[in-house]
Amino acid sequence: MRLLLAEDDHYLAAGLKKDLQAAGYAVDIADNGIDAEYLGNEAIYDIAVLDLGLPQRNGIDVLKNWRSAGNRLPVIVLTARDAWHERVDGFKAGADDYLGKPFHIEELLARLSALLHRASQKAAGELKVGDFTLDEQQQLVSTADGQCHQLTGIEFRLLRYFLLNSGQLLSKSQLSDHVYDLDSEKDSNVIEVYVRRLRQLLGKERIDTRRGQGYIFRDSL
Amino acid sequence: MHSLASRLSSGLLISLLIAFALLAVLVSVNIRYVTDDYVASRLQHDTETLLAAVSFDTKGRLLLDAQRIDQVYNQPFSGHYYVISSGTQSHYSRSLWDQRIEHVALESGEQRRVIQSGPEQQSLLVLSSGYTLQGYPLSISLAEDLNPIRQNIEQFIYMFIFTASGILLILIVLQVLILRHSLKPLQQVKQQLVLLEQGKIERLDSNVPAEIEPVINEVNHLLTVMGQRLQRSRDGLGDLAHAIKKPLTVMRQVLRRMDASEPDRETLTEQVDVIVQLSDRILKRARLAGHSHSGKYFCFDKDLSALIDTLGLMYPQSNIQIEQRIDDNVNCPIDREDMMELLGNLLDNACKWAQHKVRITVSSDQQLNISVEDDGPGIAADQVHELSRRGRRLDESVEGHGFGLAIASDTVSEYQGQMRFSKSTELGGLNVDIVLPLRHKSLESEK
Repeated sequence: MRLLLAEDDHYLAAGLKKDLQAAGYAVDIADNGIDAEYLGNEAIYDIAVLDLGLPQRNGIDVLKNWRSAGNRLPVIVLTARDAWHERVDGFKAGADDYLGKPFHIEELLARLSALLHRASQKAAGELKVGDFTLDEQQQLVSTADGQCHQLTGIEFRLLRYFLLNSGQLLSKSQLSDHVYDLDSEKDSNVIEVYVRRLRQLLGKERIDTRRGQGYIFRDSL
Repeated sequence: MHSLASRLSSGLLISLLIAFALLAVLVSVNIRYVTDDYVASRLQHDTETLLAAVSFDTKGRLLLDAQRIDQVYNQPFSGHYYVISSGTQSHYSRSLWDQRIEHVALESGEQRRVIQSGPEQQSLLVLSSGYTLQGYPLSISLAEDLNPIRQNIEQFIYMFIFTASGILLILIVLQVLILRHSLKPLQQVKQQLVLLEQGKIERLDSNVPAEIEPVINEVNHLLTVMGQRLQRSRDGLGDLAHAIKKPLTVMRQVLRRMDASEPDRETLTEQVDVIVQLSDRILKRARLAGHSHSGKYFCFDKDLSALIDTLGLMYPQSNIQIEQRIDDNVNCPIDREDMMELLGNLLDNACKWAQHKVRITVSSDQQLNISVEDDGPGIAADQVHELSRRGRRLDESVEGHGFGLAIASDTVSEYQGQMRFSKSTELGGLNVDIVLPLRHKSLESEK
């Protein structure tokens, strides 16, 4: 999952990025409102964490501009200004969730995961496919017979993206967009390698290859 | 408290009454003098006519030429009488019949005017004059009954008083109308103040008479200054919150990454949590506008639905219904931000614990009554007291039912209101009752 983190405090942003990456997100940072608005309009992000006190352009304006341009990117507003009337204004501007600073990282992660599930219209809680369950905290897949398979970072990101977008045709470049952040070296051939690994784990028939187009993850067989 | 209107009208009424009474006295006194003078001048004239009819013969006897005497002096008690005397001789008019009037002999050139009672309760003006005719002394007294003319005067005075009272009445009515009309701007200002209280207008209309315009302008100026001051302090507190919370967030991050075996980690984490909660509560408390005028009041129609929409977004998974029972025309002169904070915390707390349903009931009379109920687990009777007490002390760490309710309780006490906890009779969960007094009761009750 590719996440846009709009936060102007570099120290805070760097720390958050580390935590978010550890939780399986590909994170890009925007440290001002104008960059944040521009990046958010690139269709590569699955979710955004938006600080309201951004320099150059206020977070609320960024959010309003996204929404008025028809951008439905799920947004969690992260702000020190957490009076109720500000919260109401935030939701009115189009926020999907609101978290007051200072927050516990666990709460942010829980809300991110809940919002992602909601955005792809999945039930809250664990992501399931067939007999398999994806544990988003531990980043492992467990089978019905109780066997657990630890996933590498990229495997986890890829599987989660597949699960949240099951039944849809996903191109290789789309997959790499959502799995890697701006700083990473992108090689779409690597995606093939990871898809092969996931097939070994979940069964070949789970992921269909559409030659020249991409992959489809099948919820039901 | 004295009223300008009653002072003005009583002053005007008294001055009008005095003016009219003075006029009545002057007119009635003067008219008597004038008529007496008029009668006297007529008598003088008649005296001269009578004098022409008098003569003395060679023996000094007083003679009267009956031909030259007016008939009115021959009719008994006609009201016109004369007495003519010279030495011991005297002539009385026939109209006197057997009665007499007081008559004194006067020196020549002397004249006297008296009022005396005559026959048949007549009131006579008697003009006596002394002459010398053909070498003999002569005194003539002529009398005329004043009663008929007095009756006319009386009638005139009655008419005068009657007409004057009518005019007085009309003047009083007119004056009340004029007063009302001129004091209308004050009434309007009073109504505007009530509207201002209720938050229906933000400024007073400055289209007023020149006399009260400075007051209105000053009030408007104060409203602006107060609004700006509140906004400035709120902005300042918002910035302060922002400034404090960023480093706290970083501290939490750093602590999280610290080795769990580090002995101070837990202590530091706890301390950071304490700072977070304390600063949050102090800043929120400081932001309260309270009864000071903020200009922007909470509107149940608009703001509550926005708040409930927000809660719906905050609790997307749960299917909690928030039922609103809001009276029509709820009078809520309470700052929008304060009320948002109060209701936000109450409803948030209720949504946290509710299973399916939250209900908010609002009504207003002399005070604003709000109750928020849920169908959650509620609290045991012995905890009610505990919950009311909790959160009063700033340094108590409170979780769950606590923190939001603590902020709500700060808001309520800022407004000198009351907050009570009980078990909801219908929904079975917690019921929070809040009573907020509405300010400026005097203004309200005078409406």
